[in-house]
Amino acid sequence: MPLARRNISSIVAFVLLALYALASCYPFLWMISAALKSNQEVLISRSLIPQVLRFDILTETWNKLEFWTYFVNSTVITLCSVVGIVFIYSLAGYGFAKTHFWGRDALFLGFVALLLIPSVTVLIPLVQLLRSLGFIGREATQFSTYSGVVLPIINGAGPLALFLFRNFFREMPHDLHDAARVDGCSEAGIYARIYLPLATPVIATVSILNIIGVWNAFIWPSIVINKDAWFTLPLKLKDLDLQLVTQWNVRMAGSLITLVPVIIVFLLLQRYYIRGLTAGAIKG
Amino acid sequence: MRQAKLRTTQAAAPVRKRSRWLAVAHANSGVLFVLPAVLLFLVFGLYPVIYSFVLSFFRWNGFSGFSILPFACVAPTCSFVGFDNFKEFLFANPITAGMFRQAIWRDMFLLTTVTGGTIVLALPIALALNQGVRGQSLFRMLIMLPMVTAGIAVYYVWTFIYQPDGLLNSVLQMVGLGAIGAKQGWLGTSSLALPSVAVVLIWSSVPAAVIFYLAGLQTINAELYEAARLDGANSWHLLLHITWPLLLPITIIIVISTLNAIIQSSYQTIYLMTNGGPAGSTTTTGLMVFNYGFGDQRDLGVASAMAWMLFLALAVITMVNLRVFRSRT
Repeated sequence: MPLARRNISSIVAFVLLALYALASCYPFLWMISAALKSNQEVLISRSLIPQVLRFDILTETWNKLEFWTYFVNSTVITLCSVVGIVFIYSLAGYGFAKTHFWGRDALFLGFVALLLIPSVTVLIPLVQLLRSLGFIGREATQFSTYSGVVLPIINGAGPLALFLFRNFFREMPHDLHDAARVDGCSEAGIYARIYLPLATPVIATVSILNIIGVWNAFIWPSIVINKDAWFTLPLKLKDLDLQLVTQWNVRMAGSLITLVPVIIVFLLLQRYYIRGLTAGAIKG
Repeated sequence: MRQAKLRTTQAAAPVRKRSRWLAVAHANSGVLFVLPAVLLFLVFGLYPVIYSFVLSFFRWNGFSGFSILPFACVAPTCSFVGFDNFKEFLFANPITAGMFRQAIWRDMFLLTTVTGGTIVLALPIALALNQGVRGQSLFRMLIMLPMVTAGIAVYYVWTFIYQPDGLLNSVLQMVGLGAIGAKQGWLGTSSLALPSVAVVLIWSSVPAAVIFYLAGLQTINAELYEAARLDGANSWHLLLHITWPLLLPITIIIVISTLNAIIQSSYQTIYLMTNGGPAGSTTTTGLMVFNYGFGDQRDLGVASAMAWMLFLALAVITMVNLRVFRSRT
């Protein structure tokens, strides 16, 4: 390619990327800037840089959100869901990819077909089910309520997680499996000692997808959790809004505080995430 | 496997029978790996689906008198109504039927604009990222950022951007296009609210599409381009005749996962941003089902019937998509 043309195309690429990068992170920049302004200034000024930096809104909102309490609630729900998802569907993915049993492929197809069921379809039955099992209702404890939130979330995340794990395990050479077998390793041992440790990219992908999804989930937790003290951060954030008539700076400060934990996790796992998602998709 | 099972039933000696049975059990022991997933699925996946299907033929107040295991439907709180729930929103009740039909059109609008918009934006971005420009890893990170944000926090920001005195209107004013701004706010104007929601959905689904396209681009052999260049092809030809066809499988993945994301979770976005308004102009079928299930118009039978129509529609759309794309690849 001639040098001039190469230069033009890379300039075009650069401009395009710069523009879209700005569009994609502008809402975040604005969120940060608004969290540091007075409500007056938020409404009048369009500048990203506040005239007077006000950290008091942020600390005030932090206290009003009772951050640590609700952070712990959100973290418990997110961690339990993600650990459950990774454990259950890496096992199942291995089962579908590397072992044989009667009806295996039909069962797998059934799981993938589940992707098609709109989650809103099962919302009502799930609530009835949780009520009749005593997970929610008058007798409910925090533990039973959280189980009621987490178990359906795990099941809902199943099809995609299973698909990614199964594709990944299927791509791995079967020789590994046979060699371990010859050396006297049990099927469970092969899974735990050989295949699972190699599946780190997929574990990272599935984890990050679900950490983001569960952390941000609003409707399902809001239906199941009926006691203020058990709320997750997003529910508390919405609750905060009821007490104040659209204080934009408070809203933004609250939003920022709620999002920071996931953004940190995302930046830490970003690299694995890209690798795992595409490994499963391209070859599958 | 099936043969092995047959043979065990024919075995004569009890001892042999036992050992054969053990052998079959051993050969099928892989099932233990999928057992936790299957159990969870039976309770929280299959049971609710059956429940909702059965419920779609009943009228029930949601408190007592109806259950599936064991089956019970006790008057007066519960009654069997046949297909009445389906008729209700398909044609019997003109108001509900009208709303439902409009909701379907809104679904169609979101499905087409969001998938289309995502692909139109994601492909050029992936191509640009693939050129190896300066600072590309920073760009990649910034472009990925909207992925972390399917939540209430980001909807608050977008709601502000769309306010009457919000960011979008004032930016338009600044560049001299104040006239096309929305006086009542972008989410407050019936004709603009749904497209505005679509923009948010596109914004949040572009990053994943970019990742998929990038991965696809890396599998394309550079020699193909060089050969085509030697034959006198220009950049547009390369894109049209090499890149696009080779990326078609990736495009299929993106289309299906975007469609799925819209059906699965757009009602949450809409619930938080506009709650279906103004004047019902952003009420999609998903949100309608949710309102019938949990809102003021509470009617669980109709909600279930509607949810099943949604499921059928999605199944058909996905199959058509797969068929169309498969025939072209």
